[in-house]
Amino acid sequence: MQGCIRLSEQFQTIRRPDRWDEPLDVGLTEQHVEALLTMEPFASMDAVKFPRRIPLSGILQNDCRILNLERGDIIVREGDYGSSAFLILSGEAIVSLRSLPPALLGRESKPKHSWTQAIAKLWGNSQHAEVRDYSGTTDSTDEVGARETADGQQVFLHDIPRVISAGQSVTLSAGEIFGELSALTRTSRSATVVAGSNTRVLEIRWQGFRDLMKSDPALRQHVDHLYRQNSLQSHLRETEILTNLPSEAISQVAAATKLETFGRFQWSHDFGKVQKEDIARRILSEPLIAEQGQPLDGLILIRNGFARLSRQHGDGHQTIAYLGKGQAFGLRELAHNWKTGQQRPALLSLRAVGYVDILKIPVDAVESLILPNVPAGELPPELPQQKSAGQHGKNTRRMAVREKSMDQGLLEFLVEQRFINGTQTMMIDLDRCTRCDDCVRACAATHDNNPRFIRHGKQHDNWMIANACMHCLDPVCMIGCPTGAISRDEESGSVTINDPTCIGCGTCANSCPYSNIQMVTINDRKGLPIVDQKSGDPIEKATKCDLCASTSHGPACQSACPHDALVRIDMTSSGVVADWTKQ
Amino acid sequence: MKLKANQRNSMMSRSALPVRRFRNIVLLMIALVAVGILVVSQNQNLVHSTFTTGYVLLGSFVLLTAFNMRKRIPSLAQLGSAAFWMQLHIYVGLGTFVLFGFHVGWKIPNGGFEVFLTTLYLIVAVSGVYGLYATRSIPKKLTALNDEVIYERIPGFRKQLAGDARRLVLEACQHSDVLARFYRNRLAAYFERPRSIAYLASPNGRLRRQLMSEIDDLDRYLSDDQRSLSRQLGQMVKKKDDLDYHAAQQGRLKIWLFAHIGFTYSLLLVSILHGVIAHAFAGGLR
Repeated sequence: MQGCIRLSEQFQTIRRPDRWDEPLDVGLTEQHVEALLTMEPFASMDAVKFPRRIPLSGILQNDCRILNLERGDIIVREGDYGSSAFLILSGEAIVSLRSLPPALLGRESKPKHSWTQAIAKLWGNSQHAEVRDYSGTTDSTDEVGARETADGQQVFLHDIPRVISAGQSVTLSAGEIFGELSALTRTSRSATVVAGSNTRVLEIRWQGFRDLMKSDPALRQHVDHLYRQNSLQSHLRETEILTNLPSEAISQVAAATKLETFGRFQWSHDFGKVQKEDIARRILSEPLIAEQGQPLDGLILIRNGFARLSRQHGDGHQTIAYLGKGQAFGLRELAHNWKTGQQRPALLSLRAVGYVDILKIPVDAVESLILPNVPAGELPPELPQQKSAGQHGKNTRRMAVREKSMDQGLLEFLVEQRFINGTQTMMIDLDRCTRCDDCVRACAATHDNNPRFIRHGKQHDNWMIANACMHCLDPVCMIGCPTGAISRDEESGSVTINDPTCIGCGTCANSCPYSNIQMVTINDRKGLPIVDQKSGDPIEKATKCDLCASTSHGPACQSACPHDALVRIDMTSSGVVADWTKQ
Repeated sequence: MKLKANQRNSMMSRSALPVRRFRNIVLLMIALVAVGILVVSQNQNLVHSTFTTGYVLLGSFVLLTAFNMRKRIPSLAQLGSAAFWMQLHIYVGLGTFVLFGFHVGWKIPNGGFEVFLTTLYLIVAVSGVYGLYATRSIPKKLTALNDEVIYERIPGFRKQLAGDARRLVLEACQHSDVLARFYRNRLAAYFERPRSIAYLASPNGRLRRQLMSEIDDLDRYLSDDQRSLSRQLGQMVKKKDDLDYHAAQQGRLKIWLFAHIGFTYSLLLVSILHGVIAHAFAGGLR
């Protein structure tokens, strides 16, 4: 006790941060909460079933906010990423069953330049930084408008029937929930939803929605049913070993599959802080999905996010590989046990890196439905004979499967820094890079003399990961964009910002854990700042690498490097990285 | 994420580099043997092969110069990545040694203009070979240093470091003037002035070792607190040396490229002039 007193005297003390330190809406009063508790589905929920630390009223007070929308207001856009589900309190919402034109959603695909245009552009590039030309543009299109609200800018459709015809839409009424699957599974919104009349909608933060599901069986079953009905079978099919399974078997596997989540959904918020922790402690603090030496209770499929495969090495854990979407864990052990009748435990540990969604197929289902349907030649090889206790370490080392060998230090570096999230990460081999900056010049020439990356970044050995947008598999920058200006291109998969609809709020730049989005003030052709009509403040825009979307030859940086030193590489696949870095 | 065809083609895995080198050497050999056969057959048929080799050589020079154009215009990526052009540049450049030999009949030219042209060619060719060596060896030397620095930022970092060193010494001289005297006599110039031309020509760690040894020797005159400051000063000396090394090596690559390109354009122009004169003396275009 004395020691504790001394500690508090010695160090600065603070109150331990609490989950609800930052409510979603500070303006939500107890009266609002009481009113919500009288409405469905909350009225039917048994408040006693909620844990004392996370009461129903607390969730409503802190994880929710009420949106008062007018007819035509866009609530969610198809393709956006979001971390909230929505409950209609009054009024109605219209779900568009067809994809709306990109311009209506605040996105405009850039026209590709022809050869002649690209060459002519060299003489037409601006002399000043970040020049924009808004002459000839209007504030909004015929079909879309924007108005200021207390929460920021609200985009709306002027004429709903003109954009969304009655035959191509579904109307949701009070008490119905939408947006829950993309919030829970961290996938893009599958449809655009607009307010059909003056509508009150309750926005429920992902964490709150998860807790509501935990304590309310009816809501849990409802969401579970929706997921199993709409998405689960196609997710199972994404796994190599299940690709050829008969439809009936897939349905049975889907029925038996459990859905589990590990890690923090908003891992990017404390990424910087976590990086400062001791490496050994950091790995051990990652949520454990399966533990080395413990029996496996099912085949684990990664649905979203990344997981670290590690092996006990001395007093710490050594990273063996990382698994991403569609990859499986435990198949080799389960196949071995099924063939031999032995009960061999997990060879390696599996831990959540940031945030992971998994599907777990129980052992019974694996043995009765999956393994008998897999051709013998496609089954993983049997495990070697078990050695004596003293040789256990060597044995697991031999048994552990590596897709392709990558330098151990590089592997640890990529996982620690979460670069494995990038699908177009800029990786530079410093042993070949002459620092000529041809890559930067090519980038600038393609973007009106504004380079969209910095040839600088974190390093391991001779490998540098430059500060260029990685076009992440889990694009946290896309969560919270109020106008939908930042989006993922369906065809190429690249994450781009539509400059005209970006309002310069900085949400994406603040969310990017890699600091790869820059906020810039924009100028006119004379180099003078463009300012807000009302306040006179300079207008800001978010800028980042767009993989040279306006050209037909891919990223200019890569094709400009004469020394094969720079590559845009898909880090989500360890095999690709191993292949490129292999000396 | 789908990769565009160009992007995929320019993703050269490290293990594939020796294969590429072998393939390029074989292609170069085939091309040179083909030119050799053509020259021999023309000579046997009493046809002037110098015009043939001259045009092949001039074409090679144009191709070699076009690499710089490709680098300057990123929109020309459709014509191949810069890495592809670099390979073309290296092997065509090496091939010109043999082509030049064919062209001059493996003899030393004796006319004033020809000597000038030959000298210009040799400068470009030798500087190209040096560039190949420098671009392969200097990056590894820079990577071996602790910090990666962008060339244009080096003056700013140097200034900042000089200021930090000065502040540290001022702090130390409150108790004793040993460090201050040492700074004034040995370090002030080191931190505040650029390195000598000899260092830029051949960067080395001699001065760094010397200064570090002298800083270690000061220990006997310093208190424990001052020793700690002296260690920090030592770290700054190392940091400054790393910055100087970066500046020298990166600067060397930049100066080399500037000279190589300058001489290349001169060679191209003089070669065209040489061709015009050759045709004039041979009775016009054939």
